[in-house]
Amino acid sequence: MTATDSSTVQKTITVEATPEHAFEVFTAGIDSWWPRSHHIGKSPMKETRIECRAGGRCYSVHEDGAEGDWGKILVWEPPLRFVMAWQITHQWGYEPDLAKASEVEVSFTPAEGGKTRVDLEHRYFERMGPGAEEMRTAVNGGWGKLMEMFAAQAAAGSATQ
Amino acid sequence: MNSYQELKLDALGDLTRRGILAQLLNGPLPVGELAGRFPVSRPAISQHLRILKEAQLVTDVAAGTRRLYAINREGFNSLREYFDQFWETALHEFKKKVESRDV
Repeated sequence: MTATDSSTVQKTITVEATPEHAFEVFTAGIDSWWPRSHHIGKSPMKETRIECRAGGRCYSVHEDGAEGDWGKILVWEPPLRFVMAWQITHQWGYEPDLAKASEVEVSFTPAEGGKTRVDLEHRYFERMGPGAEEMRTAVNGGWGKLMEMFAAQAAAGSATQ
Repeated sequence: MNSYQELKLDALGDLTRRGILAQLLNGPLPVGELAGRFPVSRPAISQHLRILKEAQLVTDVAAGTRRLYAINREGFNSLREYFDQFWETALHEFKKKVESRDV
């Protein structure tokens, strides 16, 4: 893998399963392991789903019945790789413009002993619009402008309740 | 992955808690004042504050007879840091699930 730059998150984990099984659980089975607290809906999340095909939606279903999109499948190559647009803004809202979305690539590589190495890269944080520079500053310098933008969005969210 | 990172991730995953952090960015507040700004009960706000405090995102200080809650600026650095922790947690959960073979 390439060196990690300041706006990329890279993770590797090895699992005791075939690439086929690992791919299946990661995508079709995403609701079985996805952290329940992580969503951008206004009511608690009931379920999160990935439509398993190129162009498929990634979305959550909430207790109030609402559905919230948070991504889209860009590359679909089971069981070895997929790429999804991560359509969440730095203000914790939905980003409809793919050109402004960050991206997550997950690859599944056969390893010794029937295991699979799973490599995940979350990249292109810098695409996330006018906040990109501030985000870089935040990465390097701590707090900064990022939290102000986050504050504005959170305040807007509570005002509509 | 340490438990502090898990706490921080959970703390940031909730809309009300993100809202509380946003309010506290403008300055320290007592719990009663915060409760008036959200459509949830005061005990619920206290519980959210406890979670934020355990995650080291919020600190509290005594001010006379009141207790003020404030952002802990050392608690987190960036969205990238958030996702770094998010994926750490998520992949850990994924590994547990994929190896349990009960999907």
